[in-house]
Amino acid sequence: MSHGKAVLSLSNIVSGYGSQSIIRNISFDIPESGLVTIIGPNGHGKSTLLRSISGIVRLQSGEIYFEGQRIDGLRIDQIVSRGVVHIPQGDMLFPDMTVHENLLMGASLIRSRNEIAERYGKVFVLFPQLEERKNQVASTLSGGERRMLAIGRGLMTGARILLLDEPSLGLAPVVIEEIYKIIKNLNDGGQTILLVEENVSRAIAISDHIYLLDDGHIAWQGTGEELAGERHLMEVYLGA
Amino acid sequence: MDGWIQILVSGLTVGAMYAVSTVSLSLVWGALNVLNMGQGAMLAAGGYIAYTAVMSLGLPIPIAIVVAVIVGALIGGAMYFLIIRFMIGKEGFETNVIVATFGFALILENLVLRLYGAYPLRQPIGLEGGWYFGATHIPYQNMLLVVVSGVLLVAVGYLLKTTQLGRSIRATAQNREATELMGIRISRVFLLVLLIGGGLAAISGIMLSTLTTLAPTMGYDPMLKAFIICVIAGLGNIYGALISAFVLGLFEVSIQFIFGVRFGFPALLLLVILALVWRPYGVFGKRKTERL
Amino acid sequence: MKESSTNIYRRDAVIGIILILIAAILPFVFPTRYVVGQMTIFFVWATVVSQWNLVFGVAGIFSLAQMAIFAMGGYVTGMLGLYLEWPLWVSMFFGGFAAVVFSVIIGIACLRLRGAYVALLTLAISQTMYLLIITDTACFIRQGVTCRNFTGGTRGLARFGDFGFREMLPYKYMAFGDYFLALVVLIFAVAFSIFLIRSPIGLAFQALRDNSNCAVARGISRFKYQLLVFSASAFFTGLAGAVYAGHFRVMGANTLYLNLLLFLLSMLIIGGVGRVWGPLLGAAALMLVDEVLKEFVEWRLAGLGARQHAGHPRRRRQGLRRLRQGFLQDHRRPHHRRGREERLRHADGRSGHGRKKTVRSIRRFHLEWCHRHHTRAMRPTLDRARREISQCQGHPGVHRRCQVRGRGR
Repeated sequence: MSHGKAVLSLSNIVSGYGSQSIIRNISFDIPESGLVTIIGPNGHGKSTLLRSISGIVRLQSGEIYFEGQRIDGLRIDQIVSRGVVHIPQGDMLFPDMTVHENLLMGASLIRSRNEIAERYGKVFVLFPQLEERKNQVASTLSGGERRMLAIGRGLMTGARILLLDEPSLGLAPVVIEEIYKIIKNLNDGGQTILLVEENVSRAIAISDHIYLLDDGHIAWQGTGEELAGERHLMEVYLGA
Repeated sequence: MDGWIQILVSGLTVGAMYAVSTVSLSLVWGALNVLNMGQGAMLAAGGYIAYTAVMSLGLPIPIAIVVAVIVGALIGGAMYFLIIRFMIGKEGFETNVIVATFGFALILENLVLRLYGAYPLRQPIGLEGGWYFGATHIPYQNMLLVVVSGVLLVAVGYLLKTTQLGRSIRATAQNREATELMGIRISRVFLLVLLIGGGLAAISGIMLSTLTTLAPTMGYDPMLKAFIICVIAGLGNIYGALISAFVLGLFEVSIQFIFGVRFGFPALLLLVILALVWRPYGVFGKRKTERL
Repeated sequence: MKESSTNIYRRDAVIGIILILIAAILPFVFPTRYVVGQMTIFFVWATVVSQWNLVFGVAGIFSLAQMAIFAMGGYVTGMLGLYLEWPLWVSMFFGGFAAVVFSVIIGIACLRLRGAYVALLTLAISQTMYLLIITDTACFIRQGVTCRNFTGGTRGLARFGDFGFREMLPYKYMAFGDYFLALVVLIFAVAFSIFLIRSPIGLAFQALRDNSNCAVARGISRFKYQLLVFSASAFFTGLAGAVYAGHFRVMGANTLYLNLLLFLLSMLIIGGVGRVWGPLLGAAALMLVDEVLKEFVEWRLAGLGARQHAGHPRRRRQGLRRLRQGFLQDHRRPHHRRGREERLRHADGRSGHGRKKTVRSIRRFHLEWCHRHHTRAMRPTLDRARREISQCQGHPGVHRRCQVRGRGR
């Protein structure tokens, strides 16, 4: 597919809830420092895919490899400790904790105080707005700040791959712009990212590779430019 | 005037006792969504263990108390290993856990019954004597209880607020899935919370048994009261539970003083019903956004 | 399940008739006092559990006050017999009505509560009743030199007579009177509960249980249906209490004991919460277990507690499901309930941009979505159920639009 060796590798994944299968036989790889986006209509498995990778949802069959090791079937905390960080849809912040405490929660697995302090500092460099609100309770933040906190919290964990679930969800365009700038920055700095997005134009703009998920299958894959050229896809699937 | 001081003293003491047991319940409920129907039995067990430690093993009282707390914590751990562990994440958790802990309580109570018999025993732990404030006699025992629960509750508050463990517990209460995504093993949190809850229940039982007597069913009534206090405070709200415990302790004692002992509980109940009609999520509780 | 309702009713009727026949013949096959007596008690408990199933299982309200309602029925019946000297045949109906009134009051108290709160409150009410009875020492009536309290206190309420079978029937068949009375009450109770469960009202209960926000959005009034279920389930419970009182000729606060509550709760759960014939199955199963355990009196309670754990969700479902297959209706829950622990996200309007408008449009969409999906939810077919599960199970796209704004926060 592209440059770099595969960091995350999905092989014939079948996954879903109970006896229901939402993801039907998906395979793809994500290269190191790559930015891969999954797009597609709602309700067709994009979030389920991320949740299957992070361990929240158990696979019904198939395998997932991260940096050469198999991670499907492991406990969530085991997967996280390997550096697979899932920033869930809707942020899932700890509403009654402050920004500071939320960030500390992100560093739950880090032993070294120095490392925590270092990452903490980096988060505030990335999101200066959060620094001002350090002691503010998370539920009082605005939508954009919450999103930033969620991402910052994920970064505290020291992610070797970031799974971002709809970072533009519910945000005003100006804020989305900012968030995506930061995502691009992170990726330029070498962070491997798997993005799920409904906002196709954003996806086209920053991704190395795009997968279109329809009814649990990969219906199409290619680069951003290729997607922009496929008019009928844009209309049928994405209502664009 | 005299009567009011008496009420104040008794009310504070009773409130202190309820506070410890309520915090235990509230913690377990808030973090784990487990309504621990075994609380009463664990209370009784704590009192009996202390009794045994002093009477049969001849241990000095402070050690006996520590022993009882440890055993209480272990009972909480047993509840985790034997019951709760298998039910985490399964459907209908909340209902099933009520019934399961109910069953656990029965078994525990039966054990106590078989080991000690049904005849009430006198708890040897306690201070004699008291202080005279005007004409009112304030027993040292009561003052000790208030102080002990105060210290205990401050310790728990500190644990929750500043330590990593405490943060994990609070996080689990606020959003379990997010906590897991932070790399924290929820099963660990469950175990720890149940250990702490068990220890607190044991202490509460010891305190209670020093004021009344040791009987196998002694825990049922206080458990129910702790429940009621939790409900008024909003299940899971620890500070609210604390305040409510003292307020309701005073209220109960006042009613008992004025109208007679048997009306204490019913009055409490009436208050709770009214409070819940006014605020269905508890006076301090928060309404949660629900997903469809 | 495209089964027509007449088929379902026919099947229920067939099962019912078979069971009634067995029950009618049984005392003649085993005419010992003991067996007949135990069966009578079984009928009483089965009645209570079948009605409790309506509140707990079908409507999903975790009420633990059933025995308090039972006791209210029994006590009122007894008191009318004792103080006003009414024949039990008359006062039992008043006992039933009293139970209904009491139950409605409880229903109102619990109205705005959810889940565990209801369990606690109802338990507290039950305990209060117990305490008030036990501590009742005040002199109410002076009879000669002795003083009697109002409720009978710890000794229980007595001397209110019975159903008169002793005078009516020959010695050999004396116990049969209570037996058949309890059986008749049970038959009516079960028939009533079946009718209710399969009616639109029953569907409304289940809708409120499975997804109350959706149900409310569709216009099902929680207030109305909660009161309905509390009142409907209380009459036969109270009647059962009256039968109990008349059978034992004493009504005591021991009916409010926690372990009895647990015993009946186990019957309900093991039989299958919310199912139609579940309560009977559970009652029968546990009475049998109890009989066996009676041999080992001391361990009876412990065994009960252990049975509780053994009878747990997975095992219970599989074991009894195989039993039930073939002739019991598997009333499907249209969606998988994902557990109430699911914490949620805030419904964000687009930040700062026309929040009110978005909220309104969210609400409108929410109603439409609920309408569409909920109508299906009311009559599930297999593939609909599949689709339900995928849509109600945490699919972000759909859910995002259906988040209801919470008040305050």
